[in-house]
Amino acid sequence: MDRKKIATLGFLFVVLVVLAVIFFKSGIKEKILPTLPAPPPEVEPLTQPGLTRTVVLFFLSEEDTFLHPEEREIPATQSVVREAKQTVEELIKGSKKGYISPFPPEAKLRELYITPQGVAYVDFTKEIVEKHLSGSSAEISTIFSVVNSLAYNFDSINKVFILIEGRERETLGGHINLSRPFLPLYDLIAK
Amino acid sequence: MSCSCLSKKLIAGVVLSLFLSMTSGSQIQPFVKLSVRDYEDFSRIIIEPSFPLSFEIEKGSSFLLVKIAIDVPFRIQKDPFESRIVRSFGWTKGRDYYILTIKTKPVDFSYDYFVLNNPTQLVIDFYEVDEEGRRGREADKEIKSRLDSALSREKEDSAPQEIKTIIVDPGHGGMEPGAKGKFGTLEKDITLAIALKLKTFIERNMPVRVVLTRTGDTSVSLERRAAIANYNKADLFVSIHANSSFRKDAHGSETFFLSNESTDDEARRLAYLENNPADFDEGIGGDSQDELTMILWDMAQSAYLKESSTFAETIQGELNFLLRTKDRGIKQAPFKVLTGVACPAVLVEIAFISNPEEERKMKTEWFQNNVVEAIYRGLENYINLYYRK
Repeated sequence: MDRKKIATLGFLFVVLVVLAVIFFKSGIKEKILPTLPAPPPEVEPLTQPGLTRTVVLFFLSEEDTFLHPEEREIPATQSVVREAKQTVEELIKGSKKGYISPFPPEAKLRELYITPQGVAYVDFTKEIVEKHLSGSSAEISTIFSVVNSLAYNFDSINKVFILIEGRERETLGGHINLSRPFLPLYDLIAK
Repeated sequence: MSCSCLSKKLIAGVVLSLFLSMTSGSQIQPFVKLSVRDYEDFSRIIIEPSFPLSFEIEKGSSFLLVKIAIDVPFRIQKDPFESRIVRSFGWTKGRDYYILTIKTKPVDFSYDYFVLNNPTQLVIDFYEVDEEGRRGREADKEIKSRLDSALSREKEDSAPQEIKTIIVDPGHGGMEPGAKGKFGTLEKDITLAIALKLKTFIERNMPVRVVLTRTGDTSVSLERRAAIANYNKADLFVSIHANSSFRKDAHGSETFFLSNESTDDEARRLAYLENNPADFDEGIGGDSQDELTMILWDMAQSAYLKESSTFAETIQGELNFLLRTKDRGIKQAPFKVLTGVACPAVLVEIAFISNPEEERKMKTEWFQNNVVEAIYRGLENYINLYYRK
């Protein structure tokens, strides 16, 4: 009797499982292509008090059309994301050697994250667009100052994708295409 | 007995949890219902989300993007449809939004939208822009065949015999002034003044048609500028800009062509071919045709980089000679306006509007006429190189 009951219930259970599988696997399937990866969970970096690391920032100069390196000390952490953020923040603060900053002073960094494929997503506030000079040369300087500074200092960054207020944008001011990640252009750096 | 009770309980538990997971699953997961219906003179799409709707709409050539703010996955309910205007839907995930791409059959179209409440529905009506829609479809075919031949080029066979149409693109316009000079000169005004002069000059001296991407102070999207060139079966494309730099001293003229992104593009093309091997053997049909069009439009210019580089050189040489400006040379950069253009294309930075001396110069008739003449001579040199062998 008990065995029969168990067998019946077992049978019902199998039917239910089959039905559940059908339920979950059926329906209209839409392929959703991820473009922007979710930011990885923020791990609180272990700051090592007193320890710093040197990064190289790239600025413009009145002398020529190239990007010029300037070394800067940032607090050393065990988080690449944290150090990359500090690098961009230092870049926006401008040069301490009299080089020219290719950023509107009002622009701020909102967010930065790095995918396992080595693409850094650098998200600026809207001022980087609104206060921009919007000429071809100006846009190229702004973009490659960020791209080169990040790719040069961090091995885990190969490409840089620029976002404005968390969103993709076509251009900064009508010229350079922001809808694809940038590879660094070291030709722009002064020899 | 006790054993069977236990198993009963276990089974009941499993059944209950299954039941719960099924119902809770369908209750919690948000969904979006999509429906398409054709009316006499328009097609209507209704987007009905189960959650509060916050959206943005952006139009492109042959597609409309609807960016919907939501950061959790959702189900999509859609019935099969047939429409004159709507071709297909695609979803792309962003960080805290999804983008619905509505691909349209005509390259150009106009649209209206409104929101209904209770339940929330976003209604988008698509209208065909007759003349251009038709031309767009023809242009699509034209571009595809030109790109196919360009990609596997036997140069002698497929090189065009003569230049018929030149596109002149005055940078910026309307709501988008471009760079500003210290004395208030706007890039959009300088570029338009030169473009209008250039059109007259070319048409007076060459048996070609010149099409401007704008003739007044109007906003024209960058994609639309490329689309105008492609609709008109452009043979050459010249975009005119005035430069600006953070460096006060920056001065001089330069000519850009698109930077080489062919490694990425080639990879995408190969990926496409791998996934759709039949397309190239047996022709293309249905939705896959649309996908191919999008990929090719996006990489249109990469098939013409060599010609564009020569074109840039012929113009740059004349510019510095006539303008007596500093030669900044020819350069490559990923200019948005150039990416979709399916013919040799350059972007000329006539001088720096951010440099007060050059700003003053570029407002003069002398300077503007010399820019016109320099570009004209560059065009002529290029045509002599490629067309009159």
